[in-house]
Amino acid sequence: MKQKWLLPLTIVCIISSFSLAFQLKILNYSSNSNPLSEKNTNLVTIINDLEAEIKEQENQIEKIRNDLSTLQNQQVEGELQELQDELQKVKILSGLTPVSGKGIVITVDDYSQGLQANPNDDPNKYIIHYENLLNIVSELKVGGAEAISINDQRLITTSEIRCVGNVILVNTTRIAPPFEVRVIGSPKILAEIINNGELEILRTSNFPVTLEEQNEVIIPAYKGELQFNYSQAVKGD
Amino acid sequence: MWLLPLFGLIIGAIIGSTIQYQIPTIYIKYMSIAVLASFDSVFGGIRAVIEEKFDGTVLLTGFFTNAMLAALLAYLGDRLGVDLYYAAVFAFGVRLFQNLANIRHNLLLKFRNYRQHKNMD
Repeated sequence: MKQKWLLPLTIVCIISSFSLAFQLKILNYSSNSNPLSEKNTNLVTIINDLEAEIKEQENQIEKIRNDLSTLQNQQVEGELQELQDELQKVKILSGLTPVSGKGIVITVDDYSQGLQANPNDDPNKYIIHYENLLNIVSELKVGGAEAISINDQRLITTSEIRCVGNVILVNTTRIAPPFEVRVIGSPKILAEIINNGELEILRTSNFPVTLEEQNEVIIPAYKGELQFNYSQAVKGD
Repeated sequence: MWLLPLFGLIIGAIIGSTIQYQIPTIYIKYMSIAVLASFDSVFGGIRAVIEEKFDGTVLLTGFFTNAMLAALLAYLGDRLGVDLYYAAVFAFGVRLFQNLANIRHNLLLKFRNYRQHKNMD
């Protein structure tokens, strides 16, 4: 008599507690992870891997270039010496050697205190954009800059300063604030032109900006590849 | 013997928490209705046992048809853009409370009767 209700009720109990536990587990799981962020994490690891690979290859290029220059420095004879001097000059011009000299060091950073004080404001007003860096570089070039680097990325003829989402690429390398722009050139002229130009604009918007004149500014060599596949010298020149 | 349903609860919870299968997130809503439907059946079953009119077939068919109907309602609601899902939640919720109230009433009555009889003896 009593057995009659036992089995059906047990079955229903098993099903109900099973579905409850299952549901709780799923809700827990789904609050911890969403597929989008998982995908993003995957992408981030891919990017990190690729960047590590780039770094490795850049080191290799640097090593080969060093080997090359030691080989070139070995032989010193008459006409060859002249050619080597010219080669060295061209290398300095193209940015393939580290250089040092008089110059200035500029640092610019995001105005994070301003953003914290006005959290509802448009954050774009408080960060350094790639245009700011472009303007700085252009003005420095007008001021006769001979070598420029941004966060240790040497600017050469093929260098870009490009906005990609919320990071800035220089020589296809991601750079982040604070930005340190090192320049070799006449410190006086450079400081004059930049102080009356982009830095003035940034200062009026309260960005933390510093400018330092130095007797010895060291600028690293360009680390990436540099190969012209399409350009050829015009004959008869 | 009345411990068997309790064991069932524990076994179901263990299976449910150890199983590795993942259902897509859009079906979570249907699962939650299934949970409500099954609890409704559990309490309905307990009530029927206490009222001494329990019928296993009624319980099991009631459980499955209720769950199906609720899922169907939720699905239809999704299609129509109306949250019919809440209708099922509401119905099951009300029935849960009613069943619980009935169980309490019956237990209380039985307890009082038992005491009265004891006093009379």
